[in-house]
Formats: sequence, structure tokens, C-alpha cells
Amino acid sequence: MKLPDDFYFTQSNLQDYEDCAYRFYLRHLLHVKWPASVVGDAIAFEKMGQSGARFHRLIQQYLLGIPEDRLRDLALRDPNPEIAEWWENFLQYIPQLLDGQRFIESTLTTSLAGQHLAAKFDLVLVNEDGNLTIFDWKTSKKQIRKDWLLERVQTRLYLLILKQGGASLTDFESIGPEQITMTYWFTASPDTPVTIPYNHHAYQKDQAYFIKTIKIIIEQDSDAFNRTTDHQKCRFCVYRSHCDRGVEPGELASLIDFETHVGSDMLKIDIDRIEEIQF
Amino acid sequence: MLYNNHMPLSLEQKALQEQPLPSKIFLQGQAGTGKTTAGTLWLKKLLDSGIPAHEILIVIPQRTLAQPYLECLRDETVLAHSLVTTLTLGGLARRMVDLFWPLVSREIGVAKPNLPPQFLTLETAQYYMSYIVRPLIEKEGYFESLIINRNRIYSQILDNINKAAIVGFDYTEIGDRLKASWVGDIEQFHIYDDVQSCVNRFRNFCLENNLLDFSLQVEVFIKHLWSSPLCHNYLVRSYRHLIVDNLEEDTPVCHDILREWLPDFDSALLIFDQGAGYRFFLGADIASGYSLRKECDSIFQFEENLVNEPCITHLKSGLEHAILSLQGGSRKGIRIPYDAIKDSIQSPEENPKYFPVMVHWVANQVANLITAGTPPGEIVVLAPFMPDVLRFYLSNQFDELGIPHQSHRPSRSLRDEPTTQTLLTLATVAFQDWEMLPKRINLAFALMQVIEGLDLVRAQLLTAYVYDARSGEFPLKTFEVVPGEIRDRVTYQVGKRYDHLRDWLESNAPQNTNRLDFFLNHLFGEVLSQPGYGFHNNLDSGNTIANLIESIQKFRWAIGPQLPAEMFTIGREYVQMVQDGIIAAQYVHEWERQDSNSVLISPAYTFLINNQPVDYQFWLDIGSPSWYQRLNQPLTQPYVLSRNWVEGDLWDSEDELAHAHETLRRLTLGLLHRCRKKVFIGMSELDVRGFENRGLLIRLIQHVLQSAKRQSR
Ligand code: SF4
Repeated sequence: MKLPDDFYFTQSNLQDYEDCAYRFYLRHLLHVKWPASVVGDAIAFEKMGQSGARFHRLIQQYLLGIPEDRLRDLALRDPNPEIAEWWENFLQYIPQLLDGQRFIESTLTTSLAGQHLAAKFDLVLVNEDGNLTIFDWKTSKKQIRKDWLLERVQTRLYLLILKQGGASLTDFESIGPEQITMTYWFTASPDTPVTIPYNHHAYQKDQAYFIKTIKIIIEQDSDAFNRTTDHQKCRFCVYRSHCDRGVEPGELASLIDFETHVGSDMLKIDIDRIEEIQF
Repeated sequence: MLYNNHMPLSLEQKALQEQPLPSKIFLQGQAGTGKTTAGTLWLKKLLDSGIPAHEILIVIPQRTLAQPYLECLRDETVLAHSLVTTLTLGGLARRMVDLFWPLVSREIGVAKPNLPPQFLTLETAQYYMSYIVRPLIEKEGYFESLIINRNRIYSQILDNINKAAIVGFDYTEIGDRLKASWVGDIEQFHIYDDVQSCVNRFRNFCLENNLLDFSLQVEVFIKHLWSSPLCHNYLVRSYRHLIVDNLEEDTPVCHDILREWLPDFDSALLIFDQGAGYRFFLGADIASGYSLRKECDSIFQFEENLVNEPCITHLKSGLEHAILSLQGGSRKGIRIPYDAIKDSIQSPEENPKYFPVMVHWVANQVANLITAGTPPGEIVVLAPFMPDVLRFYLSNQFDELGIPHQSHRPSRSLRDEPTTQTLLTLATVAFQDWEMLPKRINLAFALMQVIEGLDLVRAQLLTAYVYDARSGEFPLKTFEVVPGEIRDRVTYQVGKRYDHLRDWLESNAPQNTNRLDFFLNHLFGEVLSQPGYGFHNNLDSGNTIANLIESIQKFRWAIGPQLPAEMFTIGREYVQMVQDGIIAAQYVHEWERQDSNSVLISPAYTFLINNQPVDYQFWLDIGSPSWYQRLNQPLTQPYVLSRNWVEGDLWDSEDELAHAHETLRRLTLGLLHRCRKKVFIGMSELDVRGFENRGLLIRLIQHVLQSAKRQSR
């Protein structure tokens, strides 16, 4: 299947492919927007998404050097009272981890199997020893297990892209996998961030995995993007009705990583995707 | 055409490429001289030298113009490892206001500085303008001497406030500026006073409610953020290399920012298209753009046109000379070879009387070109405006001849899509307390669309029995009430589907009065896209409904928190605004990607701005004065509100004529710069509206033809 010229593999489309090849095909190749609800309680889902976006913005503003007292004012008056609490926790646990040069909301790209890959990082920290840390802020209500994170496309792709493309952030000739770690910080468990180290073996394994996946995608015919056999995956999929996989959407409370489900891009207010006013 | 590795570079392009990197270059030249190609090569050179892509900023007046640079970057991913930033001034302002809001929110006068800003889209700004102005028109006699569509009143007032921001003067001066230049009826003074009053009220309303329309975003950025060390340093540190393309199409405040920013960049390439400035009505300022050359280390001039065949070059000279003499310039003749002119222009033997015959001729010519081997993407059909009726005739003729074609503007706005109307019809039935119940025929049409197996005749039969708009109860009755023989005709299976839909509407409406978007999300997912319903496998309709829901969602986000809920329900207000043409009237953009294998049907200005040369152009309706006359805009005046307007001057008919001539010159030469081989002239004695038009353009072309013929004797 020939991909569009402007196609980039990202964590969200590769995760879609891993969950269901047909979903990948509909969403990313045919660009079918299927306006059904992801979850039953759409209002709470929207509020969670918007709160997450505002909290990401607060952190970004903090990292850019906007005075803390101004940000505290905003956090305190936020329509979602949880944000004030998240904010205090962030200030308590994170600033001491932030020694080094900060690359905030940076996008890196690389190539694999002749295709383009891209990742947008909440924060990449480059410290004086030459180590690089990816930070990812998660506002899901659920505590997420480390082994689950280890398997997620996001973790593996982000580490790989930083390994291959991170030299553009530093003066280094190249970056070894052992120099990289990824830290997830959860508002739901602020005192226990999950840190995932990287190594050569993991890098090679992930590289082989992504090459294989990408090759399958570009070599297969359009009718080979099959519907998943795991009906659990359909519970939070908007194409449910089109695929005849149920009527009612899943319950918000059983959504493990809601950020991935809404597409983490949606949480980071991505100004490039906001409609620009063509005055 | 974009550069690819197999294309040889012109000498001028090579010379530019050889410039050392830490330099600031002003590149000027007419369209077709390969400036954008040179720009993409410059980008490649930056990447080749090891500069990270994220340190490169590309500024363009509209986002589509960044496309060649993004394509170049995609070819260089191995090298790039990150992305360049492509921004318009509006995009930059919005991005900075969003990021640095807490720094300035207390200074700019918003009522709630500790709450985030609410950015308005053009649609929601238009809504608020109507919210403020409508009562003034209805109760206080504003604009009473004007007979124009109200939406044009709202959009022209917005246009004024946006102009003030991008030209860089205070919005409180709009009325006085307009009045000071006016020669004519005193009544116009009242209109300008009303405009100023509406502008002031709109701005106050925005400040009271943390609403940031385009003008306020630009003002906050220019007046507050650009001078803030934190924001300024962030920008200066983030971007070390600058490329600006189509500088002449950008606005004075954008040029001001670039002037101040230029010394901070390690390198810069500023590209200026001579003879352009097509976005003048949107605030483009050629003079202020051109003045930036003084800030650069070197100036490059590209002269060699890489597009035109010699015959087109001759046509260009002939037309340029003819317009120049019209403008009072050289009256000395120039020699134009008649053969060249004949090669460059083609028209029917005789102009037909009616435009459908002309369209027929155009379609046949296009078909001949394609048969002779011209790729469809090398043909464009242009008119000053492309009215729907002309577009419709062209599309039909092309379809009949099997010619692939695309219209730059898809033919229907969101609100005109049958799918949109169907969804909104169902909503007005479900929310009967809105008191907007649809006509029976519209409901029948909606049911036909959504229930599989129901045709229009049976849908009308069904609604004749089940729809009761006057009972005060839920207006849809169950299938049970339909007499037996009619039920047989409608079929029980359809009846079951109808009942399921009816029950769903009745039970889900109450909890969603203020969330029409969620209501439609659920309606679509749980009923209309399920097996047995019309959208089950209809992927295109899914996209249209998604666009509608997104538009409602943005409306809810922008309106919901600001206006008191007891005044109205958001869903009802949305539907009302759609019916009034204030929202959902924009054309849907998703499908606008240019297909290189289709003939393009487009308004002339849109084609110019998109900057893609083609082999053959068809100019339609060339007797029309719309090729050079400006729109009638009684509430605004783009020349007077520009930075080049001299205070104290009066705008009179001579100015109007001079500007019409200049517009004609820029437009026709701009089109010819982008034409390789031939222009086909399509004209009928009576135009689309039935008027007989013999405007300047047709006369100029005839003049060029005749003088070339005379000279050949
Ligand atoms: S509903 Fe299920 S099968 Fe269909 S696209 Fe979604 S995940 Fe795949």
C-alpha cells in the first residue's frame, strides 16, 4: 500500500496499527473521521482531555520560565480543582529532576525502512554528563504498570527516535542507547515516577520490530488491513458501528490509558493543528 | 513546478546557492524565475551544513505556501532529524499568546486575567459580532441607510478591526480615518460612526469575556509580548535561521517584526515577488515588504523567466505596454510579432451569445488538449470570481467528456450538505422546545437519508401519519399509528427501524439540550451508523458529520462559558446561526488538496496565490469588470486603511480608476508569469448574470492583437 507523501509514522498511528490494522487503515490512510463517541460519558471524557491539555500547558509555561506565582494563580482558579493539586505535586517532585538543557515540546524525526517517523516529546533533558531523559506527563486517573508501559509503542518509539535523531539537540556526534532514559510522571501517583532505561539490546529489538511493522504496512494490499479478532479493542474504538462490533461505547472508568485513546497529540495543545484564521 | 534533483539550476539559482551561509539575502524577481525553488535549495543547504531543522523558521503569508519547503524537508529526513517551523504572523501571534498568556494577561485589560484566553475562530468572531450588532440594527437604527446582507455588515466590521491590527494603528481611529478620506454623501459619515461604535463594543465585549479574536491576538503579541524579554528571548533562542517567502503578500506589522528580528538571525533569505501583492485586500503591503531589502547584506535579482515560452513573453510585453499607456505611461509603440501573439492566444471564431455555449467550447478545447497528451494538471480554468452556476456548468461539461477536474472551492458549504441538513432536521425534531420544528417534506427527506430501505415517496407517506408538529407532545408518533395498508407499503422492517430511531431521539434529547455535539455523536454512533441505517457504510457522510460536530463543538466552547445559559440553548443558537448563514457557511477544506491529475477550476486570485505555473490557462468572463474593480464594501476601504494612505488625502474617482488599472496590470501579468504555452479566452456576449459586458481586459487584448496585426502588414 503506497503511503501518502506526507505520511509520518507516529506513536499514535503505530499504536492503532498494533491494536487493529483496519483502524489504522481507516483513520490514517483513508482519513475517515467517524464521529461516534469513544466512551459513554462523553462529557467527563472531554473534561479530562481539556484538563490534561491545560495541565500540559502549565508545565510548558513553567519550563519556559514564567514566574511560579502567576502559574499558581492560574492553577488555583482552574475550572477543574484537581489541577491545583496536580500542580502542587508537580512542584514538589519534578523541579529537582530538571537539571540540564531543556527541549520543550520538541519534535524529532528519523527514517526507518525508507519511511519517516516522528515523535513530539513533552520534554527532553540533556544533562552535563551527556545523558538524555525523556519526560512524559500523564494525567490518567489510573495508575499504569511499568510492564505495560514497557510494551507500549510510545515508549519504544520515543526511545528509538531520540537515539536516532537526538544528536540534532546536542553537540554529540551520535547518542548511545545507554545514555537515554524515559520517565513517565503520573498525576495519579506523583511520588512514584516510572523510569525506563534504554540499552543496545532493546534498541536493536525495537528497531527490528518497527522495521518489520513498517514493511508489512507498505507492502500489504489495502484489503489486507484486517479487523482485529480481539473484540476488547473495539470497546473504545469509534468505528464500532461501521465494523458491527457493538452499539454502546465503553465505560470511561475502564479506559486504562485515556491519553493514548484520545491520541496524546490531542492533549498537548498542538497549535499547528488549531485552525488558523485566514484573515 | 517544484525542484527535483534532475532539473538543472539556472545560473541565477546557482549564484545564490554559492553564497556563504552566514549571510542575509534579499531575493527579488518576478513570478516564474525560480525563487521558491531557490528557497527550498537554500533550506537544503542549511540542513546540509549541519543546522538542525528546528532552528529554522519559515515565514509565509498563508500556510499553503509552506508546502514546497515541507516537501523538501521530507526528502531530507535523514539529514533533518527534526522539523522546521512554518508560521504565518497570525500563527506566531496565537502561539505566543497561548504560551505566554500568564505574563501579559494582567496588562491587556481582560476581566479575568487568571483564566485562560478563549481564542475565536473567524466563525465564532462573526457570531459574536452578530450578537453585538444585531440589536443595534434592530433597535437603534444602525446602518439603516444600507441595503446589504447583514452578514456582510458583520464581516466588514471585523475586517476593519483586523486591518487596524495588521496595519498597526489603533482600532479607535477606524471611523475617523474612513470619514477623513470620504468624498460624497454625508450619510456615509453616519455609517462610519456606526462602524466605530460597533468596533468599540466588540472589543470591550472581548476584553470582558477573555475572548481573543484575530485582531486582539495580533495586538497582544505586537504590543506586549514582542517587547517582553522572556518571549523575545525564547523566539531568538529557538530560531537561528530565517526564510521568508512571498514577503510582498505579508502585512506591515509582520514586516515590522521581521525588521527588528533580522539582526538576531545567523542567516536569512527574504524572497520578494515583484509585481505581486495579490493579498492587498487582506492587508498585504508591498512597500513595507520591499523596504526590508535595506536590512539585508546582499540583494539578488532573478531575471530569467523559467516558465514562459517566447510567445507568452511577447503577449506579456504587449499587455504590459497597453496597460502602461492606459496609466499615462509610454505611448511609444513596441514591436510585437503577430505570429507570436496568435500562438499565445486562442478564442472561438465568434463569441457565442450565451455562456453555456462558451462553456461547451471550453470543455471541447480542454478535451482536445488532453487527447493531444497534455496532463490535466497542466490546465487551469479561471474567472475573476467563480460563481456557482459557472462552476456547475463547467463541472457538468467536464463530467460528460470524462475530463478529471477539481474545483478549488468544493461546490457546497458545510451547511448546504444534505447530510448536515438531515442531522440538524433530526435535532430540531428531538428538541421540540426550540420551536424550530421542520417542514414535513424536510423531515421526510431526512428519514429517507437515514433509514435504509425508505424512499422519498414512502418517507412522505410515513411522515404524513407520524409527524405532528402541533400537538405540543413529542412530534413523532410510533409506527403503530400508521394505518395498516400504509404500514404494508412502508414495510414492517422500515417501521421497526423508524421506531428505534424515534425512541432513541425521544429518550436522549432531554439530557443533551446544551450539548448538541454530544447528542449527534451518540445519535450517529448508536443509531445512524448501525446496520439498517443510512450511514452504516457511508464513509464520506461520516466525514461531513464529523465536520459538522466539530463546528458545533467549537461553537459550544467559544459561546458556552461566555453567554448566560438562561438566555438561550447553545444547540438552538447554533442551528439558528446556520440558518442565518453566519456559521457553517465556510467551505470544507479537507478535500482541497491539489490533484496533479485534474483540471483545476478556480478564481483567478486563488490560483495566483497558490503559485503553481501551468501550460494552459483558460480565462473566462473576460468582459467582466470584476477583473479589476474592487468589491462594493460600504463599511470599509482597504486603501484608506493601509499604511500607505496619507492623512488628509481624499479618495476620489481618479484614485479608484488608477487602482483599477494597477489591479488589472498585476493580475494579468501575474497570470501570464505562471503560464507556459497558451491562454484560451472564453467569452460570451451575455455573461452568467445576463449582462452584456465589454470591460477593459477584453478591450486590451483586442488592442494588443490589432496592433500586432497592423505591425505585421
Ligand atoms: S471497531 Fe474493532 S475492528 Fe473495527 S476498526 Fe475498531 S478496533 Fe478495528
